[in-house]
Order: sequence, then structure tokens, then C-alpha cells
Amino acid sequence: MTIPLIFMGALGAGAALLLGIASRVFYVKEDPRISEVEAALPGANCGGCGYAGCRACAEAIVSGKAPCNVCVAGGAETAIEVGAILGIPVEIKEPELAWTSCTYGVGEADPIYTYSGAQDCQAAVALFGGSKLCPIGCIGLGSCVKACQFDALSMDEDRLPVFNPKKCIACGACVEACPKNIIALTSATKRIQAEYTTDECTAPCQRACPTGIDIPSYINAIRVGQPEGALRIIKEKCPLPLVCGRICPAPCEIECRRNLTPDDPVAINDLKRFAADYEMQTGRHVNPYKAPDSGRRTAVIGGGTEGLTAAYYLARLGHAPTLYEAKPELGGVLRYVISPSRLPDGVLDHEIKGILEMGVTARTGQVLGRDFTVHSLLADGYDAVLLATGGFDSRKVLRPGTGKETLIPGVRLMIDVLPALGNDAPAPAGRRVTIVGGVRRALDVARACLAGGAEQVTIVTGHPLGRIPTELRETDELEREGIRVRPRTVISALWGAEERLTSVSLEEASETPGVALAVSLVDTDLLIVAAGRIPELVIVPVREALGTEEDEEPVFRGKWRTIEIIRTLPGHGGEGVFSSPEPGRISDASAVVQAILSGRRVVRGIHQHFSGGIIAPIRQLVVEADGILDVSEIEGVSALPRQRPAVPAPEPGTEADWTNTEEIAGLDPTSAGKEAERCLQCGLICYRQAM
Amino acid sequence: MELILLAISAILVKNILLAQYLGHCPFQGVSKRMETAVGMGMAVIFTMTVASAITWIVSRSVLVPYGIEYLQTIAFILVIAALVQFVEIFMKKTLPALYQALGIFLPLITTNCAILGVALLNVRNDYGFVKMVIFSVSSAIGFALALVLFAGLRERFRTTRIPQPLQDTAIGLITAGLMSLAFLGFLGMA
Repeated sequence: MTIPLIFMGALGAGAALLLGIASRVFYVKEDPRISEVEAALPGANCGGCGYAGCRACAEAIVSGKAPCNVCVAGGAETAIEVGAILGIPVEIKEPELAWTSCTYGVGEADPIYTYSGAQDCQAAVALFGGSKLCPIGCIGLGSCVKACQFDALSMDEDRLPVFNPKKCIACGACVEACPKNIIALTSATKRIQAEYTTDECTAPCQRACPTGIDIPSYINAIRVGQPEGALRIIKEKCPLPLVCGRICPAPCEIECRRNLTPDDPVAINDLKRFAADYEMQTGRHVNPYKAPDSGRRTAVIGGGTEGLTAAYYLARLGHAPTLYEAKPELGGVLRYVISPSRLPDGVLDHEIKGILEMGVTARTGQVLGRDFTVHSLLADGYDAVLLATGGFDSRKVLRPGTGKETLIPGVRLMIDVLPALGNDAPAPAGRRVTIVGGVRRALDVARACLAGGAEQVTIVTGHPLGRIPTELRETDELEREGIRVRPRTVISALWGAEERLTSVSLEEASETPGVALAVSLVDTDLLIVAAGRIPELVIVPVREALGTEEDEEPVFRGKWRTIEIIRTLPGHGGEGVFSSPEPGRISDASAVVQAILSGRRVVRGIHQHFSGGIIAPIRQLVVEADGILDVSEIEGVSALPRQRPAVPAPEPGTEADWTNTEEIAGLDPTSAGKEAERCLQCGLICYRQAM
Repeated sequence: MELILLAISAILVKNILLAQYLGHCPFQGVSKRMETAVGMGMAVIFTMTVASAITWIVSRSVLVPYGIEYLQTIAFILVIAALVQFVEIFMKKTLPALYQALGIFLPLITTNCAILGVALLNVRNDYGFVKMVIFSVSSAIGFALALVLFAGLRERFRTTRIPQPLQDTAIGLITAGLMSLAFLGFLGMA
């Protein structure tokens, strides 16, 4: 009896001793905070943070490799808890949601074959990219639903994924799982900056709209009787729906697929006006999501369409905009040029009030050059100054008595200095002059500058040497005169100090495609621009450290520069701040919708500058991509008469006040509902057939 | 030759999972993903070899000389549990990479009946040291092989239409049964 007892006792004691010693000898020193942080994390091991499980994530957070808010599953609460454990301040991430643009399920879209294989999207895609004709359509086998660990995804009866925004934590598992790459994570900030790409399902009208309003969605909202919801969709992309609903040339209606039948296009613009008028009648403003204050202040010079749009989006991104307008009231061309019978003042006032309610400060009657300068704004502490003097000819913005020749220090328009025009102004005074564009008259101007005392003149042109006037090709002779010609070159930035221009950055494209641009800096105190007006420029302060101490905050000491606000893909041209305007790009003010697009794109550039990022070119833009999949004929659609808004007749016996009465009334709710029924709810190639 | 036959018999004919029905908990539990199945398989090979060797030594040097073979089971459980714990602590310090790979599977197999079963079989069959090692390693390889094959099948379940009542463990058990029948075919080789 004793032997087994001794044996078991000895075995137990031996094992205990061994483990006790081992735990001492092989003790791994571990930061106790790792376990604490791990306990604070949700423990879902979803991998949304990019680390293998919550433990690895906790280790990364404690070692400082990942920020406190890296956990997407826990959201703000977890971030705060983790921050409390580590004792560091937490930046709350903007919530993101998964989303897809496909709206026609497998049953409704055009198929190329019937699929009955493994119930997995990955497997289905292996066979000719899925059963749908549409290359970016959902194939409806629900691999994303299986990938979701948070029960936020389900398939509806049309076999399309439905996202539950209350449960979605944007871990990205469904994005990974989708072989069609049609699920994306999105947030309000991302949507503001987004442009349509070929990877998204877009309707022809939506692609035609310069501002990119999601037209089928807002018409559907009107159809189901939610004009306020419709307005929310419109305001995502267009802050001026009352204005656009009245004066937009509506390029969308030209592209409407109802034109493919013997029928009129859907009255897209009248429906937009209906939704906007509905808001005006309620007297309230439907204001969309606004990001929390970023702590940055921005100034927008020019209170017209582009300035208002830029201020609206800057406010939505939390960059506290202040709008400077020379005239006593905001509106620019909209107020002072467009006839009040098309756009009554009351309507414009309501629209502008809505934009100001978003958090825009307006300073009217403030003239650039008289009441403030770009440098004075920077000295006041603005983090960026946007020049949006677009629609009017920039020269007219200069008024006598301001004592300034130019809007931006050291920049003049060529027309003001052309010798042949018999300008009574003195010859342009600059020691180092750069002339951009206008190759036919550039030489005259350059020689006038040299006669006026300039030491060095540089002529910058985007054209190659073979495509400029012959007298400019004699580079060696011109060099002896003091004139340098820079072909294939654009100006990418201006640099200045206080009220002076100091230099310009030049980017020279290489002869061989694919070779990087050559960048150089040229001393310049006078820049002569051939374009008729000054394009959008964003001027930011250059902050420098005063001393040599490392922890010192850099401060503004009078130096400024312009930043690039849009970068195009190589081969598309149009880079540089003074390149010629192109439709659909910035600097095009041919219609109010173009100016809105410009305003939004400029804000995208400013926001990316603030985020410390380099302005990334947008790939596969729908406006630039060739061969977007489309349909050339439609079937199964019956003609429906287009609803037409009434033209109000003056009351008999009274003299109507035509100057401030609208020529055309809007649609009434019944006819708006009927008109919305006419919409085919188009996708890339799908549309609603059974009417 | 005898040893090769022993190995083949342990891997295929007397497969510990499909012919001897030991260790079915991890067989159903960690076979949903290939990655975890491979990890578990490796951990079992490692632990089974070490545990069998130690228990064999304990049996030969203590239990048999003192005539207390009836304490086999309880002694083996204690030895295996302590051993796995020790190995875990040891690996964490000296082989962090291996610990990362096998770490989470080690506690799972502390009380695995396949490990204990092989240790007991070694004693019952009265193997010598070399035979014991070959048998243990082969049994573990058999375990890993069956687990990996099964995980391969189960990964396919995710994309197959399975009737509602049979989903998950139910279809898993049915498949395990069919695999077991298939492995019975190896009996003809013996």
C-alpha cells in the first residue's frame, strides 16, 4: 500500500516542482498592459485591424506600432478604453460602412449562362467571370454573408447583399471575400471626395451629371414619397439644388435611356427642383452629415457658385471656412447675372442660408487687395486660402483704388501687359520674369520686359518644341538675349514671401513616356499668365522652425506656396496650375454644375493636403474611361407621357411683376410622383423593364 | 522491414482516428479550416512522440519494477499533463516562433485520449524503445493525415447545398463514418 502512495505523491510533487521551476527559469517578461488591452478588445479575432487576432493587435498597440483606434470592431468605445489603459489621447475614427452599388439581382440582370455549381462566388467567378453579363454585377451566392462575423450582412429575395449599418463594423471581411470587388468601405468623408470609377455601377444620367448626383436613387426616393430623402441624396454631391433645379442645362436628360424609345427623357431636373422646392416650402434646411471640427481654418475668396460649393464641402469636412466676397451679397453670377425671372432672389437666399447654416462664416463687401490680401489672411492664421474668383473675368474683380495690380502677388494677366495693345500702363516691372502660355505673343512681351529692365525671362509652354512658333525655336539666339524657352513644361507651384512672388516650380515632361518629370525651381518675381483669368489656386502657409531645437513647433514667417489640387493620370495632360481649362476638370465655369464640380474637386485637394497625403490621381474615372458598358437599345418599356410643369398665367386684370416672378412653376406632388414612375432606374446595363 | 510494416499499419490500417476511434473531439473541432487542421496535426505529432517516450520510460523504470502497473492510467495522465505544460513554458521562452505556430493547440491536446491511448497501447503491446518511437510517430502521422483529409472535405461543405438538419456537426459525423469505412479497405493490405 505504501509504494503506490509514495509513487503517486512523488510523481505529483515532482511534476509540481518541475513546473514551478520551469515557470521561474523560463519566465517571459511580458508587458502587463498587453493582457489589459487584449481584454478591452472585442475578442472577435476578425482581422479587420490587419493583425492576426486580437492578441497580436494588442501587442502592436502596446508597442506603439498601431494606434489606439486600430480596432474597427470595437469602434469609439474600445478606442477610448484602450487609450485609458495606455494613458494616451485617442483620435476617434470616422465610422465606415460596407456598401455595394449593384441593385439588380441575378434574376433580373441579363445572364450569359445559368449557373448551378458550388454555392460560392469565388467558384462561380472562375467560370467566365460569373453568370451575369455585367462585369461588375453581384453574382448573388453570398460569399460575403458567410465571411461576415458580425451578422451584419444578409441576402435579400433578389439575392443581393443587404448591409445592416447598425451591426457593420467595417472590418472589411466581405470586401476581401467578394471576387467581383464590388463591395467597398465608405464613410461620409470618402463619399465627399469620391468620383465615379469604372468599378462602380453608374447610370448614364449619373455619368453625364458633372456633379455626379446619384440620379436614379433620388428619383426612387421621390417615387416612394420621400422628397426629403431625395434631397439628402442630391446634397451629397450638389449643395445648390434649388439653383440647379432651375438653371441647369441638364446634360443628364440627353443621356436618359428613355431617349432610346419614341419617348421624352425623364424630367430629371424638374424632379430635382421638386425635391428642393419641397424643402424650401417647409422653411427648414435638410443638412447632411458634417465631420467634427478638424481644428483647421480655411478662407475662400469669392462668394459665387464655386466659392459657395467649396465652403460647403470645407464645412462638411470640418475645416471651418470663411467666405470673402467683394460684393454686398453672396451669389456671384447667380445673383448678378442670371435673370431673377429664372432664379428669384428669395430662392437664392434660401439656398445660401442653408450653406451658411452648415458652419460657413461670410464676410461680404471685402475686396481682395483693398481690405485684405492673401498674405494678410495667412498671417491671420488660415491654414489654406482658396481663390475662387472664377465666373467673372478676373480682371473685373480688380477695381480702381485698391492700389494693387494683381490678385496674387507677382501674377499678372498677359492682356494687361501686351505692348501692341497700346497699354498706357508702364512696362511690366520685374527683374526675373516667367511667362506661361500664349506662345504667339510671348516673345513680344518678353522683349518688352527686357527693355523694362528684366534680367532673365523664361517662357514656359506645355507644347513640345516642334509645335511652337518658329521664332521661339531659335533657343540659342534667344538665350543670348536673355530669354529661355521651356517646352513641354508646366508650372506646378508658386512660391512667395509676404506680398512678393519669389519663385515658381516647373515640371518638364520627358520625351519618352513613362520617364519621371524633371522638376526645377526658377526665381521669379513677375509671372505673366496668358489665360483670360486666374484659375483656382490654393495658397497655404509654409511653416518653418525658428531655431534649431527639435521639439519646436514650426511657425508661419511670411512664406507661402500654392498646392496642387488635382493630379491627372499621365497622358491626359492638363497638369500644372495654369493649364487650359477642360470640360469636367477644374477651371471650367461654363455652367453652374461645372463650377460645383470644380468647387468639390478643389476641396478634395485641400483635404488631402491637410491629411498629409500626396494628391493621388483617380484611376478609371468614368468620364475618362473609354468603352463603358452600355446598352444601345431597350426593350419591354412602354411610353409614358412626360409631366410638364405649368407656366403660370397672370391673373386677369393685373400687371404681373415679371422681373421677380418665376417663368415656370415646379411640378406638383402628383405629377412629380408620376414622373418619378417613368424613371427606368438604370444601372450599367440593367434597367427596370416591367412597368 | 518489420518496422516499415509497423509504420504503415499505424498510419493507414490501424489509423488512430478512423480505425481506433480515438481523439474525435479535435477531429470534429478543428477540422473546419485547413490551416488549423495542419497546425493541430503538427502539434499532435510533436506531443505524441514526446509523451509516449516519457510514459514508456516511467512504465519501464517505475511501474513494472514496483508492480504497480494498475496505476498506469492515472500516472500517465499526470505525466502527460505536466509534460505538455512544461513544453509550453519551455517553448515560449526558447522557441517563440514554434510557440506562435503550435502554442494554442498544445493545451487542447493535454488530455486528448489519442495521446493517452497510444501511450497505453505502447505498454500493452510490450514494444521496445525503437518500436515504441516508430509506432507513436506513425500513429501521430495517421492522426494528422486523417485530420487534414477531413478538413479538405469540410472546407467544401461551405460551398455545397446541405439540407438544414444535417448542417455542421451532423454532416461532419456522417462524413467521418464514410471515411472510416473507406479506411477499412486498408485491412485487406494487412
